[in-house]
Amino acid sequence: MMSAILQIEGLRKQFGGVTALAGVDLAIQEGEILGVVGPNGSGKTTLFNVVTGVHKPSGGRVLWHGRDITGLAAHQISGVGIGHTFQQAMAFPGLPVIENVRIACEHARRSSRAYPWTTPEALLRFVGLSDLAGERAGVLPFGNLRLLGIALALATRPSLILLDEPAAGLNDKETLALVGLVKQLPEHGISVCVIDHDMKLMQMLCRRLVVLDFGSKIADGPIRDVLNDPKVLEVYLGGVL
Amino acid sequence: MIMKSSSSPLASLLPALAVLVVLALVPALGPSNRILSLAISAGINIVALYGLAVLFGQTGILSMGHAALVGVGAYTAAILARDLGIGFWVALPLGSLLAAAVAAIVGVPSLRVSGHHFVIMTFAFGQLLSIVLTNGGAFTGAATGLDLQLPVTWFGRPAGDLVPYYFIVIAFVAISAVASWLIINSSYGRTLRAIRENEKLAASLGINVGRHKIGAFVVSGLFAGVSGVLLAYFFRHISPNQFSAFPSIYLALMVMIGGARLLLGPIAGGILVSFLPEMLNLDPVESRILYGICLIAVILLLPNGLIAGLFDGLRALGRRLVGSAPRPNVPTDGTSETA
Ligand SMILES: Nc1ncnc2c1ncn2[C@@H]1O[C@H](COP(=O)(O)OP(=O)(O)OP(=O)(O)O)[C@@H](O)[C@H]1O
Ligand SMILES: [Mg+2]
Repeated sequence: MMSAILQIEGLRKQFGGVTALAGVDLAIQEGEILGVVGPNGSGKTTLFNVVTGVHKPSGGRVLWHGRDITGLAAHQISGVGIGHTFQQAMAFPGLPVIENVRIACEHARRSSRAYPWTTPEALLRFVGLSDLAGERAGVLPFGNLRLLGIALALATRPSLILLDEPAAGLNDKETLALVGLVKQLPEHGISVCVIDHDMKLMQMLCRRLVVLDFGSKIADGPIRDVLNDPKVLEVYLGGVL
Repeated sequence: MIMKSSSSPLASLLPALAVLVVLALVPALGPSNRILSLAISAGINIVALYGLAVLFGQTGILSMGHAALVGVGAYTAAILARDLGIGFWVALPLGSLLAAAVAAIVGVPSLRVSGHHFVIMTFAFGQLLSIVLTNGGAFTGAATGLDLQLPVTWFGRPAGDLVPYYFIVIAFVAISAVASWLIINSSYGRTLRAIRENEKLAASLGINVGRHKIGAFVVSGLFAGVSGVLLAYFFRHISPNQFSAFPSIYLALMVMIGGARLLLGPIAGGILVSFLPEMLNLDPVESRILYGICLIAVILLLPNGLIAGLFDGLRALGRRLVGSAPRPNVPTDGTSETA
């Protein structure tokens, strides 16, 4: 039986007059890869930002293994074991790739769990960037920058990782490599929540899918059922799916 | 591919130490008192610049009120000497700690806001300190300032004359360079660079950005305080205008012209800005205009400062002479400060 590691209750976020999240309930189960989709501006990134401390929520609660972590600062969220990547792929551009990862490793939370990657070198090997260890991160092509972002998030020793459009801008080969990589994470005790617009990718990665629309959750369940849900089909006008 | 392109961290310290050894030989050439005095005040500035190298070069935070922290060190030295008879060697750590404490007091409210606000806050702090010193009555000597009469001694022998004091200052420049080098090559230095490069990402990796920014400002205060004590014991008379807006701007200028990320940068910036007007025989107004032009030129042409620009230029020349193709994507000295 799986249990929820992250429980989101009635989460709201208001940007002035814009309601980005209108009270979202969501549970992420231990060991799963959960997909989150929704049209542009439906609040997906905001959901991540509010959970990870980038923004303070306007209302609602976030529970981590039952403990209230609502509104903690970003560095504290990293400390409890939630890692994330950004929709705008980012790194420390002026520093060598290996130093990027070393910094992340040096600030990893203490955790009794065994991770397969304990050194910056091992992390770069895992995401396939060993050859670029000495390059400045700022000169990396886009796809490699996304992989570096994942390596940085993994370096913090998370037990949940939130990936915001990890495949955006990747070619087919890179996307397949990414799928292979993400699918390994649950084996290492890392649950995953992934945002993307690419339904093919979602079908490869997840068994469960959540759909947001105008800041509200309109569907949540096994991916087959969700993709055939009339409400979901209506949101996507039948076109994208 | 193993990173072989850059040498060990020690290689970045050696050029700075070599230059300092050469500078330590200067008194043997029998320089005029004028030159020696200029060299001493350049050295005193360089000590503060190594603190700015940590703050600005590593953390990416610009302080426009740094002379005020130097002033805290200087006034600490003068007041300790006057009221308690405490001399140079004890004043050094106390002045340094007090300047760091003041940096913490200024830093805690200022660094909660964004970078631009911090620049303005430090500037305002500099002005405020001038006003406080000017209106401090007999305690701070008001606008006239304070005299400092205690001698500097070294194992019982007087060391306040130009030549021995020159050696003391050179020694503190060397200590500052090594301290700054140790910080740059430590895990702490990497943390500061992460903040400089991308605060949002740094926070997401577990770095307490606010705390480390304040920490970097406090560290730079330690250097500034030492510089202040050295200054007070050199000039023997201090007054508020030595620590006001213009001296602060000069410090920022020196670190930008020399370059904040390489260990030779503060030495180059400090010497250049101190000696240039003298060598060109400029009056104060002309020299301010010259500084302005230098600053604009450096920002536009050599954003990493003179030394980094020089290295890049030499490397490009070397490649042309050897005729080999440039290696793509290898960080240059201008960007790999640990290398
Ligand atoms: N920092 C912000 N300030 C103001 N409004 C914001 C901010 N971030 C998001 N919003 C608004 O909140 C709403 C949800 O945005 P969000 O970025 O969460 O959408 P999304 O689902 O991630 O979209 P996309 O698929 O384009 O990435 C949008 O209307 C957006 O304009
Ligand atoms: Mg988004």
